[in-house]
Amino acid sequence: MDASVILAAFDSDDELHEPCKVLLADEEVTLASLDLVRYEVANVAVRAWRAHSRVAPLLSAVDRIADDGGVLASTSVLLTRAAELAEEHSISVYDAAYVAAANQVGAGLVSCDVRDLVGKGLAREPAGMLGK
Amino acid sequence: MPDELLREVDAEAGRLGTTRSAVLRGFADSALRRRRASRAAAMRTLLASDERHGGAAAGLVKTTRP
Repeated sequence: MDASVILAAFDSDDELHEPCKVLLADEEVTLASLDLVRYEVANVAVRAWRAHSRVAPLLSAVDRIADDGGVLASTSVLLTRAAELAEEHSISVYDAAYVAAANQVGAGLVSCDVRDLVGKGLAREPAGMLGK
Repeated sequence: MPDELLREVDAEAGRLGTTRSAVLRGFADSALRRRRASRAAAMRTLLASDERHGGAAAGLVKTTRP
């Protein structure tokens, strides 16, 4: 999953809050992410939410994911593949890195990013992954 | 896999009247289930109190990137 799913689960104003919250607590799926997620959740909490107190719980959530399916490292191999995907699909290398990470472990990417990821068939919305 | 561990697996298979691979599959399944359950329980605790931050998480991730 990318950072948007974790952030939406922690924000009851988000239109995808409920499915994200349910997904994070779903015992039937193994969750994994990319190391980039730590920077991105902390960045949104501090710079957009102006809620420094939310950084620790958000990072704890990432740690729990690390204990489950893992948090992959942004290696040169992964980012090289991400650069190719970014070029191919006209998306940022950041977004493409999550796609490359999911591909690397043979899993499906979950994201709230409808415009660049879900809309281009590169990820599924959280509700689509429940109970998988 | 160390011989000693393999002997224990074989002994377990003998006790259960099944195969070595079935025992290993059961152990792997059980370990993964425990791992998922532990993560899910921790998430329920972390998400127990709803807070409001204005929504649009996916957009905020993009706008706050360097």
